[in-house]
Amino acid sequence: MNTIVLIFVIFLGGAILTFFAGRWKGILKEILFLASIVVPVVLFFTSVKAGDTFDFTLVGFEFQWAMSPLGYMFALIVTGLGLMAAMYAVAAMRETKNSGLFYFNFILSIMSMLGILFSRDLVSFFIFWEIMTWSSYLMVVYQGKDVQKVGIKYFVFSAVGAYAMLMAIVTIYSLTGSMMIDNLVKAFPGFDSNMQLMIPLLLLVGFGVKSAMMPLHVWAPGAYSHSPMAFTSVFSGALSKMGVYGMVIVMASLVAHIPEGHWFREVIAWLGGITAVGGTLWAIAQDDAKKLLAYSSVAQLGYIIVGVGIGTPLAMLAALFMAVMHGLFKGTLFMAVGAIEKQTGTTNFTEVTGLIRKMPWTFLASLMSIIALAGIPPLGGFIGKWMLYESLIGSDHYLLVIVIFFSSTAAFLYCYKFLFGFFLGQEEEEWSHVKEAPALMVIPMVIMAAGTFILGTFPGLIMKPINAGMEQLGFAATQGKYWEMSMLFNEWGDQVVLKPILYAIIAVFAFFLVFLLIKNNKKTRYVSTKDISTSGEVPKEHENLTFSQNFFQPFLRTVTPLMKRKIDTYYNGFGKGVEALFDFTRRIYTGNGQTYALFVIIFVVILLLLKSTLFGL
Amino acid sequence: MELILNILGAIATVILAFVVGMTYGGIVRKITARVQNRKGPPWYQNFIDAYKLYSKSTAIHHGWMHRMGPAFLMVTSVVTLMFIPVLNDGGWFENLTFKGDLIFLLYLMVLGALGMALGAGQTGNPNSAIGVTRGLSQMVGFEIPWVMALVALMIQYKTTSITGLMEVQQESGTWLMFSSPFAFIAAVLAMLGMFRYSPFDIVGAPSELASGPVSENGGKYLFTMMSSGSIYAFVKLTLYVDLFMGGADNLIILVVKTFTLYMIPVLYGIVSPRYRTEQAVKFFWGWPLFFGLLAILYAVIF
Repeated sequence: MNTIVLIFVIFLGGAILTFFAGRWKGILKEILFLASIVVPVVLFFTSVKAGDTFDFTLVGFEFQWAMSPLGYMFALIVTGLGLMAAMYAVAAMRETKNSGLFYFNFILSIMSMLGILFSRDLVSFFIFWEIMTWSSYLMVVYQGKDVQKVGIKYFVFSAVGAYAMLMAIVTIYSLTGSMMIDNLVKAFPGFDSNMQLMIPLLLLVGFGVKSAMMPLHVWAPGAYSHSPMAFTSVFSGALSKMGVYGMVIVMASLVAHIPEGHWFREVIAWLGGITAVGGTLWAIAQDDAKKLLAYSSVAQLGYIIVGVGIGTPLAMLAALFMAVMHGLFKGTLFMAVGAIEKQTGTTNFTEVTGLIRKMPWTFLASLMSIIALAGIPPLGGFIGKWMLYESLIGSDHYLLVIVIFFSSTAAFLYCYKFLFGFFLGQEEEEWSHVKEAPALMVIPMVIMAAGTFILGTFPGLIMKPINAGMEQLGFAATQGKYWEMSMLFNEWGDQVVLKPILYAIIAVFAFFLVFLLIKNNKKTRYVSTKDISTSGEVPKEHENLTFSQNFFQPFLRTVTPLMKRKIDTYYNGFGKGVEALFDFTRRIYTGNGQTYALFVIIFVVILLLLKSTLFGL
Repeated sequence: MELILNILGAIATVILAFVVGMTYGGIVRKITARVQNRKGPPWYQNFIDAYKLYSKSTAIHHGWMHRMGPAFLMVTSVVTLMFIPVLNDGGWFENLTFKGDLIFLLYLMVLGALGMALGAGQTGNPNSAIGVTRGLSQMVGFEIPWVMALVALMIQYKTTSITGLMEVQQESGTWLMFSSPFAFIAAVLAMLGMFRYSPFDIVGAPSELASGPVSENGGKYLFTMMSSGSIYAFVKLTLYVDLFMGGADNLIILVVKTFTLYMIPVLYGIVSPRYRTEQAVKFFWGWPLFFGLLAILYAVIF
């Protein structure tokens, strides 16, 4: 059997087996679950190379599964994050009753993501896309909270995206007579200009929903925060990247070949910029860690969309690099929130404080991910941001630079809120029983946090797959290695070599740490957070000094004008309008036979009156 | 051998920055006192304070993050100092300057603030955390006009490196504050927030926050913070001089230029009462933002 098929068979079989094994007790189902993730992933890495193909024909459609270099790069995110999250999920879901359903959906969504990356024809692409939507929808409603509000919202938006994509696929089939993506790319420059605009637009609606692009993002905060955290790390880290994957292909292979491509790209880039700012501001206003991270994901995807939208080689490189980094650090952060939720039972900043000494490893992982998220050197997040700025300045998007910079500076606010809210501040009696999360949850977090450091120091590790992917997209004609444009020789010839700087930072840090601690370490003793001086007064034991309510109130007061306009309001307005329309229709269909008879008479009268104009009789 | 010389040069730069920054701090205290009709401490008072703090021993701590905070702060001060050309021709103070890059610098400057904020957070003192949230809000405020000014320079002179901008000034013979005046105005207005003198001293607000994030620190910790602050003041001033005032050929010119520049936030601050946080943020999104936009327009057109 072909390895590609084997991978999917194992995924599917594993999913079904674990679903039925869900009621068993003990370790067996967990091993089964891990095996049905690990075995295909190992198979993927050992025996699938970029370029392997598998063709077959079914009910008259040609199917082609192959791994392209770009797909391989995204597959690294999916499989890497999938492995880590699976490990984490075993410990996180151990005490839940209905874990079979969780395992089933988890495996299916990993499978469908890999399937999307394998698909070279639109039919299997769409089928896998729908499997992904369904499995993630079942995850969103898994905990049974707010199904009406959050679940339906996610489903409606996914459906809108799917129909848009289906429409595009059908149009493509009628135009080219083929479902192959390669044929579409070849035939696209020959389409007439209406089709050249409509097809990318419809596809982008489909992909924009998954990548939470403004104004299609409204489902994201609710859906991200309502899924089990073990899945949200995949949801935000990898699943949203499928939207980015589709966008990259659309922008680079289709939009780049049309005359209107320029303003098309501008619009997408600006939508990304607005998404980034809006997501950041809303993230600052959240008091719940899940919501905060969900809005932050929206914002971070905004940066990626900006890069994809600009579409210069450097911008694309930045976007793809940021996609990998986002998978790493946002995956870690959602896992950390899940660990805190498991240990304390809440994810609200206003309730839980001072966990740093109780959950040190979770803190370490969160700290590193936050530094990467904020884009502070020397961790990996900085490199992506830097390339994005350079590409923006290099391609004359000056106002967009300011927008992005505003958003990423304001991001420090919610970064600090996350770390302070959970880990720092007063240590309260209420949380003194909290212990570090199980090792199986901590290890994936720490590994991924270390990943942000490794990619910050040796970005070449991931730059090479990205480079191969970009060559496939057709950027190769101009230059050889894209990372040379920025990492070593940026556009204006300035040199920055990151390693000596990193060593300098570590050396200075170590020197002053030693300076602070030498002769001091043994003599000083630890005192609790109650033993402090507030304006010269020593607080009593029972006094609650936690500062977590209205954390950024003054700042939020300043930006309220920006946050007044909620996209939700417009959708609700639209929904109300449609409801009114239906209500009107209901009045026509009264259910009374006499009224219907009246309608028929009116219709006949109108026909008779207008017969000369209508039929020329 | 070369490495040792480089390290010696770096140490010399740090000492220079420390001495100059501390002296400036002392002089500012004196000036403030004279404006308020007091006698004021001698100009070397800061050195005395620093020595006193250094020789005190520390008895308590609040955990690891608290202890690492000042070290983070020092990293930012020292490493940014390494990136900024102190003199035009380099010489002793060359360090890492040939790689200087403005975007890198902007982000590196935040590392210390974040580390310090985390350290202050672990103490559990609510005033520290309030101070940090104020500081972060204000930072979002002044970074916008400041980045606008820098982007305007990058557009106008097609370089992101500090040395590149200095070469531009040396070749043309005019300072950038004259050839891109709006960028300079926006940058100077942003500088008011950067130096945290009144009316922007909301972070450490002495009366209501009891010095904010710094509280709960004493002895060597406070000494490290104090010297880091002095070095950082020197770093910022030198950066402004390098970017807008043609750099400096020798130390005397450098001192004259930086001191003149330093008087802007100081003298503005002495006569101003403190803003509330939202007022401070709004201040930067008013005229400074306007001048920033003007600077970008100017750069795009010319």
